[in-house]
Amino acid sequence: MVARIKKLRTGLLALCCLVSLGLGGELASAESAAPSYNYSYWGYNVAAPSAYQASTLITGAGSGAGEFKNPQDLQVTADKQIYVLDSGNNRFVILDQNYKSIKTVDAFQFKGKAEKFNNPQGIYVTQQKEIYVADTGNKRIVHFDSGLSVVGIIESPKSELLPASFDFQPVRVAVDKADRIYVMSAGVFDGFMEFGADGAFKSFTGANRVRVDAVDYFWKSISTQAQREQMVMYTPTEFTNLDINDEGFLYATNGDEFGDPIKKLNAQGADILRREGYYKPSGDLLYSTRSGGAPRLVDIDVSDSEIYSVLDATRGRVFTYNGDGYLMHIIGGIGNRLGEFNTPVAIEHSGDDILVLDQALGEITVFQTTEYGRMLNSAVRSYYSGDEEMAYQQFSQVVNLNANMEYAYAGIGKAYLRKGEYKEATEYFKRSMDRPNYSKAFLLYRKEVLRGQFSTIMTVLITLAALWLGLRVYRKMKARKKVELH
Amino acid sequence: MNREALQHPLYVIVHPFNGYWDLKYERSQKTSLMLSFGILFMLILTNVLGSQYSGFLVNHSDPKYLNSLMEAVYVLVPVLFWCVANWSLTTLMDGEGKFVEIFITTCFSLLPMVLINFPWIWISNYISAQESSFYYFFKNFAVIWSGLLLFVGIMTVHQFSPSKTVGTILLTVLAMAFMAFLTLLFFSLVQQMIVFISTIYQEIVLRG
Repeated sequence: MVARIKKLRTGLLALCCLVSLGLGGELASAESAAPSYNYSYWGYNVAAPSAYQASTLITGAGSGAGEFKNPQDLQVTADKQIYVLDSGNNRFVILDQNYKSIKTVDAFQFKGKAEKFNNPQGIYVTQQKEIYVADTGNKRIVHFDSGLSVVGIIESPKSELLPASFDFQPVRVAVDKADRIYVMSAGVFDGFMEFGADGAFKSFTGANRVRVDAVDYFWKSISTQAQREQMVMYTPTEFTNLDINDEGFLYATNGDEFGDPIKKLNAQGADILRREGYYKPSGDLLYSTRSGGAPRLVDIDVSDSEIYSVLDATRGRVFTYNGDGYLMHIIGGIGNRLGEFNTPVAIEHSGDDILVLDQALGEITVFQTTEYGRMLNSAVRSYYSGDEEMAYQQFSQVVNLNANMEYAYAGIGKAYLRKGEYKEATEYFKRSMDRPNYSKAFLLYRKEVLRGQFSTIMTVLITLAALWLGLRVYRKMKARKKVELH
Repeated sequence: MNREALQHPLYVIVHPFNGYWDLKYERSQKTSLMLSFGILFMLILTNVLGSQYSGFLVNHSDPKYLNSLMEAVYVLVPVLFWCVANWSLTTLMDGEGKFVEIFITTCFSLLPMVLINFPWIWISNYISAQESSFYYFFKNFAVIWSGLLLFVGIMTVHQFSPSKTVGTILLTVLAMAFMAFLTLLFFSLVQQMIVFISTIYQEIVLRG
């Protein structure tokens, strides 16, 4: 661990030196904040071009809705409307795609009564633009239709699955296409609460596992009941956020430092996230305890083609992975420049842009793709949709821009494999350290070579066998002659 | 050194009981010692070449951190530790082996790791992932073979019974761990002393 941290520190130092050298010559490039990097197959941080650049800062005042105060969540619809949950002002604000406020909702009518929010923490907007707000202070979920009138309220549920003392504190909410509502409630360790379209509580889903180490287990097993009650209770880690993709799979982050901090849950609550990349998706691999320790993932956003981004609140970085779990790019950081944050709480994508909400500053930073980022995104998308020829061209462009992008070489290799050029395929798979695919390509290549050279190989073998036999016969005859002479 | 002497290591690895007996009582020690160094050198060479040229599918070492000198150290230090620890223990436990004999025995027992691993460096470039289980099988086979040779060798060189040999080997491993600890302690202390002296020197030079 210490060695790794040391490496990181020297690596970062080297990066800083490089960047400062670059800055001396050319001040125009100073707008991108921290030096961009990625993790190599061997687990080292390697330099990478920035995939995104901060372009715009959205503030409450700038949008015309008045300053945001402690905003907690945001959502972006397919037509690029931004819903900001302005928790401190007990309202949510809808911004159009030019980041101008078009509507502010801070009070609503329900069953003839005027109601207000009380410190709401989560917001979700469906494709039909129905809005669900987790009204945490009032312990309820408010459901607006697309005309912004309230059509339902989910209060604390009654069920035999829940203890009598159950405290309903919804903090995040997500809704799938069948209008099932998934709620993350503070202080609940059993997973997400699932509600039907009618608002009736169904069950819990996707609980994290408890991790107990052997030493604790031993002490617990030899202690008495009274002693056991005094000990720390082992509860599963709580989830920190959730999102839902087009296919209805839940993507969730949790505070599990040693397990899997990112999960993709299917309908049964089983984790089906693919972890085929060089490392398990979990944010930063190298970090020192002095700079805050392990990454603390606080939000996840899943976009098309199974690409998802997670937000690490400790260092303010956004990590984007593809569906297989390969790290695509890292953006952001903690700081005061454009493209850096103070206390980031939520991320969303709007088309190819990435939006990061800062709680303390009450600002939204908009990141737009650079040429490299665009190329990488479209290469991953082409590959996902099965267009290997297109993916091949785009991945070739990606490696031209970033030779350290080992994952891209596998994309090129796969295209060669499909084309039947096995030798080239093996070379590219070797570069991307993709052993299973290398083996596949190599077997085909070996077969091809052996088939092509079959006659030569057999000729050599038969000649050698004949020579050996001839030599033996010759020696025997020589020996017999000697015997005859005597 | 004649041809027969060169062939003796090969005889030892397939006939360990007779081979080690001959090695202790019949063979010229000087020749055997030269052969031992030869085997050690070949083992180092095999390891260096292995981490550089093994096939991609079975080679998990980072080429950026490949250091031939360190590879040599990884072979020499354990062998030296083993010999010293074993010799120190067996002199107290009525073993008949001298230090040189223990060294020769140990080195001869490492031969399978050269003979099997060396060709596999090159073969591993032509195998697929499924066939790599053969590679790992042969690597493990070499280690087990060497282990058995070491066992028989130690038994013969000290004229021990099998059970006493097992006990000695376990104690030797323990002694090696102890030696490693002492060495680290020693180096750390020496380092501290050097730092102390150099600091004083600097102080005097800068003030004087």
